[in-house]
Amino acid sequence: MIKIISLTTLLLLTLNTVFAAEAGMPQLDPTYWASQIFWLTIIFSGIYFLIAKIFVPKIKGNIDARESQIRKDIDEANSLKEEADRKLQKYNSLIDEAKLEARKILSDGRKKINEDIQSKKEQIEKDIQKETLEATKEIKKFKINSLNKVNIISEEIISDIIQDIFKEDLNKSSIKATVSEVMKERRNQI
Amino acid sequence: MATNPMHQFNVYKIGPEIKINGIDLSFTNSSLFMLISAISISIFLLLGTKDKKIIPGKFQLLSEMLYNFISKMISDTAGKKAKPYFPFIFSLFIFVLFCNMVGMLPYSFTVTSHIIVTLAFAMFIFIGVTILGFVIHGFKYLKIFVPSGVPVILLPIIMVIEIISYLSRPVSLSVRLFANMMAGHTMLKVFGGFVISLGLVAGWLPLTFSVALTGLEILVAFLQAYVFAILTCIYLNDALNLHH
Repeated sequence: MIKIISLTTLLLLTLNTVFAAEAGMPQLDPTYWASQIFWLTIIFSGIYFLIAKIFVPKIKGNIDARESQIRKDIDEANSLKEEADRKLQKYNSLIDEAKLEARKILSDGRKKINEDIQSKKEQIEKDIQKETLEATKEIKKFKINSLNKVNIISEEIISDIIQDIFKEDLNKSSIKATVSEVMKERRNQI
Repeated sequence: MATNPMHQFNVYKIGPEIKINGIDLSFTNSSLFMLISAISISIFLLLGTKDKKIIPGKFQLLSEMLYNFISKMISDTAGKKAKPYFPFIFSLFIFVLFCNMVGMLPYSFTVTSHIIVTLAFAMFIFIGVTILGFVIHGFKYLKIFVPSGVPVILLPIIMVIEIISYLSRPVSLSVRLFANMMAGHTMLKVFGGFVISLGLVAGWLPLTFSVALTGLEILVAFLQAYVFAILTCIYLNDALNLHH
């Protein structure tokens, strides 16, 4: 600052000697000082009142309106975000519940199937056992029956043979006794 | 040399002579350029406040930037209490800025290059701030001349220095702006004169200087308006918040 001022004064001093046509600095000529102050007062007051009463409130209004708008938008965005978060939480909990349920259903189903298989197996085994038992019984019966039938057939064959060979009837009861004796021996052998 | 570089600072009357009680209050070229600055400010702010858009246009953005700039300047230097003086600081800054900028146009007149204009501003601010200080703090405002934590022996000297520095405020405030504007414009004119006198052969050098100086002067025009406004804020701060 001092530099500028000293430079100016130096410049002015040298210039005054060079340009001696007009006297010094017009700024120091008091002719129009009053006029300058007068018009400055009027014009500056005018612009001050314009700015204070019209422009500053208007600009302030604009800025405030924008700020409130931005705040409103941010609030809205925040509330929307909160709602979205809430929805997401709800969705997540629903998904979790569904997963849990699905798992439960799955395990229940598995258990049930296992039980079913077990019971069916037991049933089948029981059935098989029963069938086997019956079959064994039948086979036994059949064996006995067949042996009896063999007896009768043998008796008949024997009587026929005897009749064919000896041409006479033999006592049926004696044949029967002989056959049954042989058969008993055989059965014992078996 | 073609013209006197100080010629641009001449004040002459335009239109009829107005005299009240023997004091010449004629409309001059200085008044004309004050008016031009004021009208430019009005047009600029009118364009800036015409639209009320959420996303501002160029002029609205500029005016809002200016508002925020000055608002920040005041709150940084003088605090919340200075809020009622916002329109004054705003007007002061924009008026000085526009006067300086209008003065940068060729063949125009720089209102702020006259000591009487800047002194009028500075005296108004000085007297206003002093009255404000006494109204707010009463006689305690005189404490501004007594810094705290100074040894008693040094107090008389410090008080004298403080009083002188306080009283020289309007002088420094006005001379700073006036001298900057005058020096810049004189230099521009001198270099401009050299361009003509040195002609095609060597005139390029001062022309280059002239171009560079024009850029510098535009910066100075803004800077001085800013300095003027911020010093006003600082003086206001002293009156509003008694720190000493």
